[in-house]
Amino acid sequence: MWHFALRRGTVLLLTLFVVSVVAFLIPYIGEGDPALLVLRARIADPNVDPATLEAMRRQLGLDRPLAIQYLAWLGDALRGDFGLSFIRRAPVGDMLGGALLVSITLALSALLLALLVSAPLGTLAAMRPGGRADTAATLLTQTLIAIPEYWMAPMGILIFALWLGWLPSAGWDGPASLVLPALVLALRPLAYFTRIIRAAMIDVLDAPYITAARSRGLGMTQTVMRHGLRNGAMPVITLFALWLAGLLGGSVVVEVIFAIPGMGRLIYEAVINKDIPVLQAGFVAIVALAVVINTLVDLAYLAINPALRHSHGA
Amino acid sequence: MALEAALPDAAAPSRSPVSPRHSRFSRPHWTLVAGALLLLLVALALCLGPTLAPYDPTAQALIRRLKPPSEAHWLGTDHLGRDVLSRLLVGGHFAVVIAAVTLTLSVVFGTLIGVISARKGGLVDEVAMRAVDLLISFPEVVVAIFLVALLGPGYGTLILALTIVGWTPFARLARGLAIEINAKPYIRAAEILGCSRRFIILRHIIPNAIGPISAMAFLRFGHKMITVGGLSYIGLGIQPPHADWAAMMAEAQPYIERAPLLVVCPGLAIFLTALSVTWIGQGLSQTGDKP
Repeated sequence: MWHFALRRGTVLLLTLFVVSVVAFLIPYIGEGDPALLVLRARIADPNVDPATLEAMRRQLGLDRPLAIQYLAWLGDALRGDFGLSFIRRAPVGDMLGGALLVSITLALSALLLALLVSAPLGTLAAMRPGGRADTAATLLTQTLIAIPEYWMAPMGILIFALWLGWLPSAGWDGPASLVLPALVLALRPLAYFTRIIRAAMIDVLDAPYITAARSRGLGMTQTVMRHGLRNGAMPVITLFALWLAGLLGGSVVVEVIFAIPGMGRLIYEAVINKDIPVLQAGFVAIVALAVVINTLVDLAYLAINPALRHSHGA
Repeated sequence: MALEAALPDAAAPSRSPVSPRHSRFSRPHWTLVAGALLLLLVALALCLGPTLAPYDPTAQALIRRLKPPSEAHWLGTDHLGRDVLSRLLVGGHFAVVIAAVTLTLSVVFGTLIGVISARKGGLVDEVAMRAVDLLISFPEVVVAIFLVALLGPGYGTLILALTIVGWTPFARLARGLAIEINAKPYIRAAEILGCSRRFIILRHIIPNAIGPISAMAFLRFGHKMITVGGLSYIGLGIQPPHADWAAMMAEAQPYIERAPLLVVCPGLAIFLTALSVTWIGQGLSQTGDKP
C-alpha cells in the first residue's frame, strides 16, 4: 500500500513538473518571442521599435537563461501568481478561481442529476439481466451516448427558453440558468453511470451474501437497498470522480453555447484571443486537477478495498 | 478519455447462456446487424455524397436564404441560401475521418504497447503502465484545444491530440487480455517449441485479443466523432466554408427559431452515425468471441 502510494506520488510529481515546463514554454512555441507578445498585447501598433523591444525584454527578465526564467515563473505560479491577462488586465489567478468555482458547480449538478437517475435505472436493469427493463435501459444508454451535447443544447434552448419561456436561454445568474446546461451535460454521464451500476449490481447480486440474505427471508428491495447498493458503490464513485475531473474544462462546448463563465469558456476565449498567461494557467490547473483526482481515486481504491493491495504489485 | 476508462464495456464477458465455444458460431447480436446496416448507409452517403448532391454545397444564393423544404430544395436552404441536403451529404468527412484515423492509430499503438509490456514485464511494463495511468486522466478536449492553439486547426492537429490520450485505454485492455492469454497452455506449448517472442505476440496473442479490442474501438468511435464535432462547433475544428455537420449546427443556431430544421438535420446525421458504431460495438462485445 505505502509502496504503491509512494510510487504514484513520485509519478504525480514528475508529471506536474513536465506539465509546468510545457506551460512555461507555451509563449516560446507560438510566435517564438515572449517580449514581442507582451508588447503587442500592450500597444496595438504592429511595428515595434527594436529599442523598445530590447528594453521590454530586460524589464521582464527575458534576457536571463531559460532555466532561471522557469524557476522564477514556477515560484510565482506556486504562489498563485500567473501574471495579468493580456485582454482583461485582471490577475489570472483570480480569473481562474472564479471560473473553477463555476465549472465545479455546473459539473457537480450535472453529475448528481445523472447519478439520481442512473442508480435506480441501473439497479432495475441488473435485477433481471436480459429482461425487459434491462433491454430498455441498454437502448436508452446507447441512445444517450450517441447524442451530441451541441445538438441537445440548442434544442433545449428552442423548446424551454424560446417556445415555452420557462428557463433563461443563456447566462449565469441564479439556479434557473443552471437547469438547462446541467441537463444537457448530465446525459452522457447518465448513460455511463447506468452501465457501470448495472455491471456492478449484476456482480453483487450474484454474491453468496445476497443469496444468504434472500434465503433468510429478506425481501428483494431491502436486500438491494441494504447490501447491494453499498457493495456496488465503489466503481460508481470512481467513475464519478473521473467525470468530475473530465468536466473541468471538458464542458467547454456547453459553456460556450450557454455563455457560462467557467473553465472551458475561459480557455476557449484565451485561445481565440491568444491570451498567453490565461492559457498557461488554465493548462496547468486543468491537467494538475485531473491528474491529482485520478491519483487520489486510485489510492482511495486501495485504501478501501484491502483485497487489491497485494495484487497491485505489477 | 479517462471517463470511459473505468468502463467494463468491451472487456466484460458475455453473459450468454450459450457456452463460449458455441457462441462464436451463433447468430450475431441484433444490434450488430442493425448497426452495420446503418453504418453502411452512412458510409454510402459519405462516399457518393459529392456525386449525389443536387447542388454545389458551398454555392451561395442570398435570394433563397432560409427557405423551408420545397421540391427544389428537399431540406430547405441555410442562412446563405446553400442547399441543406447537399451540405448534409458531404458534411460528415472531417469528423468521421479523424475519428477513424485516431482510433486506428490508438488501436495499433495501444495494442502493441499493452501486449509487449505484458509479455516483457519488469521495467518496460512499469514505465508503460504508469504513462497510461497519467495520460488516461487528461481531458482530451482540453488537450485538443491547446494543440489547436499552438499548431492551428486541421486534420493533423486533431488526430495528434486525440491519439495522445486515445491509445491509453487500449493499452490497458490489451495488457489485461495478454496476461490472461499468456497463461494459456497453447502459449506454453509455443514457448516449448522455441517460438520467438515476436512470433508468439503476432501469431497467438494479438489474434486472440483483437475481438474485445475492436469492440472497444467501435464503442469509442461515436464519442470521438462527437468530440471532433464539438471542436468544429466552437470554431476550432474544420474551417468555413467547408460543409460539416457540427459547423452547420453552429452556423444555424442564430436562426433556430425561424428554421429549426437547420439544427435538427445535421444533429440527426451525427446521432445516427454515432448510434450505428455504438450498436456495432455492443453487438461485437455481446456476440462474444473471447478466447
